[in-house]
Amino acid sequence: MSIERENQIHPIVTESTLSNLYSLTSSLFGVTAGILGLESYNGFLLYLVLSVITTIFVYVVKVLPESLSEGRSIGDTERFFKGALQFWSGGLASGMPGFVLTWTLFYGLVRV
Amino acid sequence: MAWIPRFITFTGLVLLAHAGYSAQEHAALASTTAQHSNQAGTSTSLPIDISIETIVATMAVCIGLVLNTPNLRPIQWNVWAGKIEREGAEGFRDSSGAVEKDYRGNPFSTLESRPGFVDIRKQRREFAEWAKSEST
Repeated sequence: MSIERENQIHPIVTESTLSNLYSLTSSLFGVTAGILGLESYNGFLLYLVLSVITTIFVYVVKVLPESLSEGRSIGDTERFFKGALQFWSGGLASGMPGFVLTWTLFYGLVRV
Repeated sequence: MAWIPRFITFTGLVLLAHAGYSAQEHAALASTTAQHSNQAGTSTSLPIDISIETIVATMAVCIGLVLNTPNLRPIQWNVWAGKIEREGAEGFRDSSGAVEKDYRGNPFSTLESRPGFVDIRKQRREFAEWAKSEST
């Protein structure tokens, strides 16, 4: 079945409340990386690790209680997201520019 | 209970500002020391307490922001609309207990009350009969 027909039969709610969170947290992680003075791959590694930790927070606080009350198993995010990949990696690409921006800014501010 | 996430976020931001200031002071001190001491290769890596403070502050702000995000919506439209129909505004309260700002109620309300499909002649006739019966 094509995606268009699938969306007509089973419409989805497109409003996502998480993009705001990811833009805020990625800038924050940039501040962290700048203060720590990380360079090259270490900074991106920090971004990756902290983003995954944030997503785990989101999962525990927001997704898990309602999913369990609906009778879903642990680790199932299908109630709120199209798939596990979209949930676990959704904020990574969109937050990257903000991360690099604040990272370079605070690196320059701290180390004159 | 709405103040708890904000308090956590604020504490984390204060800690982060303090860590940033400490790191800047340390960098300035390290560069001055390197100028005045002739031996090259002095250690300029960040002290461990500043690193720990930065990480802890980041985690605190992160937890505060996550706790402060509005509730997620079920992605399938029928699940979402069913929740609205069953629970109404009660199911859309945020952490402080107030109804969410963008709660719009029934998503099918535009379909259920279409002004273009109102039988205006019938309503006008009923009104005329009612007005006539009132006047007699």
